[in-house]
Amino acid sequence: MITDSRVRETFIELTDTLVKDFDVIDYLERLADRCTELLGVSACGILLVDHHGVLNLVGASTEQTRLLELSQLQNAEGPSLDAYHTGQPVQCADLADASEHWPRFAAAARAAGFASVQALPMRLREEQLGAVSLFSAEPGLLDADTIALGQALSDAATIGIVHQRALLAKEVVTEQLQTALNSRILIEQAKGFLAERFTVSVEDAFGMMRRYARDHQRKLTDVAADITAGRLGPGLGLADPPRSSGG
Amino acid sequence: MPISARHAIIACADGLAAVGAGLSVARDGAPHEPVLASAPEAEEMGELQFTLGQGPSMDAVAGRSPVLVPDLTRLDAQRRWPLFAAAAADRGVRGMFSFPVAAGAALIGVLDVYRLRAGPLAPHELANGLAFADAVLVLVLNDNDGIAATPDGMIAAIVSERRAEVHQATGMVAAQLGVSMTDALAALRAHAYAHSRRLSDLATDVLARRVRLGPGSAPPPAPPPPAPPPPAGGDLRHDGNGSPEPGQRRGEED
Repeated sequence: MITDSRVRETFIELTDTLVKDFDVIDYLERLADRCTELLGVSACGILLVDHHGVLNLVGASTEQTRLLELSQLQNAEGPSLDAYHTGQPVQCADLADASEHWPRFAAAARAAGFASVQALPMRLREEQLGAVSLFSAEPGLLDADTIALGQALSDAATIGIVHQRALLAKEVVTEQLQTALNSRILIEQAKGFLAERFTVSVEDAFGMMRRYARDHQRKLTDVAADITAGRLGPGLGLADPPRSSGG
Repeated sequence: MPISARHAIIACADGLAAVGAGLSVARDGAPHEPVLASAPEAEEMGELQFTLGQGPSMDAVAGRSPVLVPDLTRLDAQRRWPLFAAAAADRGVRGMFSFPVAAGAALIGVLDVYRLRAGPLAPHELANGLAFADAVLVLVLNDNDGIAATPDGMIAAIVSERRAEVHQATGMVAAQLGVSMTDALAALRAHAYAHSRRLSDLATDVLARRVRLGPGSAPPPAPPPPAPPPPAGGDLRHDGNGSPEPGQRRGEED
């Protein structure tokens, strides 16, 4: 059972966004993990809108959610899109009843083993920035307290992305959003690079990157930048014993 | 009519009520020479940043994020780029907006927009500036691969270029060919074009290891050929000449 002290710890962890080595993608990945744990759901995905008005996945608790979210985006339907467009929470207690509203999404989500889904809007003042989606293997609605906690976590995500709690100019928000979206691209490229070099899945490649970043107390985005620039990889400190050169 | 990066830059200047817009290509993370400008003012400003080695372009490339400067005469701008801000003010340029032309580690350069009046971009102008930077990325990669762009193809390319599987496949191709992410993205796109496939479909196949871009599709590492005559309507010099990386020309076959 989730205790109040665990919730408190999480918020302390999540409000720690002004530290020097703050990394937005790492933050959003942790947030996705915490949402899963604290809200008692099976998986969580965080989506941000870009300047084309397209939602991009920037954090997910599992690779399976990632794939599901992608299908959701590609089909231009699903609860995250609805939450983003309406600015209101979207609840679907049973995906079996959603085949009319989201035919392709509902089928893909059920195929992935999920029975219900909720989506919460992410907003900064009047502006919609994206959505957090919560997937459960069991049917049923989350109770009001859990939704409220979920919305608070979603607001924490917004703060993490814009990185400052003061009132922010539109320019600053855009710069921060672009940084987050670009970091995500960089990380996807690094995952592909490692997947090829080590002949592993992209999910395992991501696990290697996260472990390396944690073990060396480095920002995930910096680690990805080193990998994509050929400064870090097999024979260059990753997974193999460190050597002075190679590659 | 095929669209070139030059068209996008002229349209960008026009759409953002600017005196001019320009593209500088980046090498090793630092903006290199300005290669395209919509107007003499933009060309001069690009050269100025390059000569002084400071300005919003450099910061946009270093931070991989747009740098939006509503007023170059303000103290914060003067502190950040003392030489450049003063020189810009001398030439009557007040607002400057720099957008990285990049997708993750794949970096082409930076799109700079110059305005004579101070003031921030309107929200729709900001969104358009970001969209123009995406268009320029696609068009420069097209130019380098000899791919002709049509308006419909452009829109499809911009949208598909942003999918996670394309980024992951770009990383895999970079490892397969031993090239930079920029060249890997160019190789992936050229392969899709040569085989009349959608980029995202090809990316899915690369990720599933059904398609592999082998060494046969990599360019000869050196020396680069002399600069070819520019394609009609474009005079881009981002073609790998003088670059330490092998410039990806055309993805032949897996």
